[in-house]
Amino acid sequence: MTKTDHTVNFTLNGEKKTFATRPDEKLLALLRREGYRGTKYGCGQGTCGACTVLLDGRATYACLLYAMQAEGRAVRTIESAGTFDNPSEFQKQLVAAGAVQCGYCIPGMVMSATALMETEAVLEDEIVKEYMDGNLCRCTGYEKIWVALRKTLDKQAAAPARARRKSSSKGSKK
Amino acid sequence: MKLSEFIRPASLAEARKSLRQLGPKGMPLAGGTALHFMPGKTPVTAVDITRLGLSYIKQKGDFFVIGAATPLADIQRYRGPRWAMHEICRRISTHQVRNVSTIGGNIARVFPWADLPVVLLAMDARLVIYSGKEKDMPADEYFSSQPARLFRGGDLLTAVKIPVLKAHHGFGSVKATRNATAFSLVTIAALLELKGGIIKSARVAAGSGIPFPQRLKPVEAALAGKEASTAVFREAAAAAGAAARWVGGEGMSADYIRQLAEVSILDALERAAEFARGRAA
Ligand SMILES: Cc1cc2nc3c(=O)[nH]c(=O)nc-3n(C[C@H](O)[C@H](O)[C@H](O)COP(=O)(O)OP(=O)(O)OC[C@H]3O[C@@H](n4cnc5c(N)ncnc54)[C@H](O)[C@@H]3O)c2cc1C
Ligand code: FES
Ligand code: FES
Repeated sequence: MTKTDHTVNFTLNGEKKTFATRPDEKLLALLRREGYRGTKYGCGQGTCGACTVLLDGRATYACLLYAMQAEGRAVRTIESAGTFDNPSEFQKQLVAAGAVQCGYCIPGMVMSATALMETEAVLEDEIVKEYMDGNLCRCTGYEKIWVALRKTLDKQAAAPARARRKSSSKGSKK
Repeated sequence: MKLSEFIRPASLAEARKSLRQLGPKGMPLAGGTALHFMPGKTPVTAVDITRLGLSYIKQKGDFFVIGAATPLADIQRYRGPRWAMHEICRRISTHQVRNVSTIGGNIARVFPWADLPVVLLAMDARLVIYSGKEKDMPADEYFSSQPARLFRGGDLLTAVKIPVLKAHHGFGSVKATRNATAFSLVTIAALLELKGGIIKSARVAAGSGIPFPQRLKPVEAALAGKEASTAVFREAAAAAGAAARWVGGEGMSADYIRQLAEVSILDALERAAEFARGRAA
């Protein structure tokens, strides 16, 4: 029987990393203790979406994933999406729409929207709702988040295809 | 469930060997989403089965073959001739859960709310089990009681085979919930075979709202040989009470759940008939 040592290797926001872990540790706990605090702990049971990260480009709950499951994969957190000084378009639109109240849900919302924008070519409401169905917000009533997202998507749809490809490959180095 | 070790076997044979050695101290891990919620005082070794080439969907003769470790999101996205699995997958939990949780994880250990066993019972699917070599069995036998019984010796579910629907077959599923991502109150799936306007055969199954997913034989009997009409569907749905033991909960009475089941059966049958007629031409 091949026992694994208690380390895990994966690409985190474009950089190859090795972390010591325990078989029981959730990816969310590992990320937060390693200083990636943008990913939030909300419910810890796969309902709220505050812990959403991308695993090989797909939105995933880090609270339901053992860190060991990320071996060899590409993990991206909110830290890869934008910074305070250089926010992403969606982050700018969220601020402009007044869609951030307590803000706890926002990193997860941004990561789900990132998966959407990088995966789907046609951004109709139905498909947008599907990608956002696992993120709860307890403050805003969603309307302003929806407005901000729709504006971001409409802007992306209007942008020339080349610029779109360039911006979507940002941070997804494997 | 507490994990004491985490291993990544290189092959199916190696995974089975490890699980056999570990006995009750080992547990296959697919998406791992259910493992977090399983009680168990003694820690187990997780045996990761997601790196063994078990994630795929392909059409092979009269069947769609779905690898056991295929995420629900992939099944939802897949399109094949007369494919009907996407609707129910879209209704399971959230985008983030569907990206990770697998068809095998949903049916290897059946939780009361699981939706896929219902659909697979109605569709007359076959389940492929690896015990050194692969062997398949019909859904009726597989779901006759908790399937986890089949995997205690280290065997693994490797694939699910779903019959490709023929031109005169139709399928419909309904999942009644309180909100879009909630667990099901009642899930119904129906497969109808029509000839002219007549129902040649019917398979109707239910889950949630009853102790364990099962077929609704009295409902099926009320359909066979009859005209595929709303009146007949309504009459068949009324047999739901005799077909299973409906249970209430969360403030809902058993009688309410039964009524919900009747409405859902009618709805599923209408959808199945529409599927059969609409795509038969
Ligand atoms: C928030 C939330 C909401 C959900 N809502 C729904 C819902 O509405 N409807 C629904 O149907 N489901 C729902 N689920 C259940 C979800 O679909 C299950 O968690 C999932 O199906 C388990 O799949 P997994 O791949 O993560 O399995 P795992 O957690 O990896 O495994 C589950 C069990 O199956 C065993 N197992 C897995 N694969 C195999 C195999 N190939 N051979 C033998 N044994 C195996 C494991 O050992 C374990 O005992 C929900 C889950 C969550 C977290
Ligand atoms: S903390 Fe992971 S979904 Fe709520
Ligand atoms: S802004 Fe507070 S939870 Fe969304």
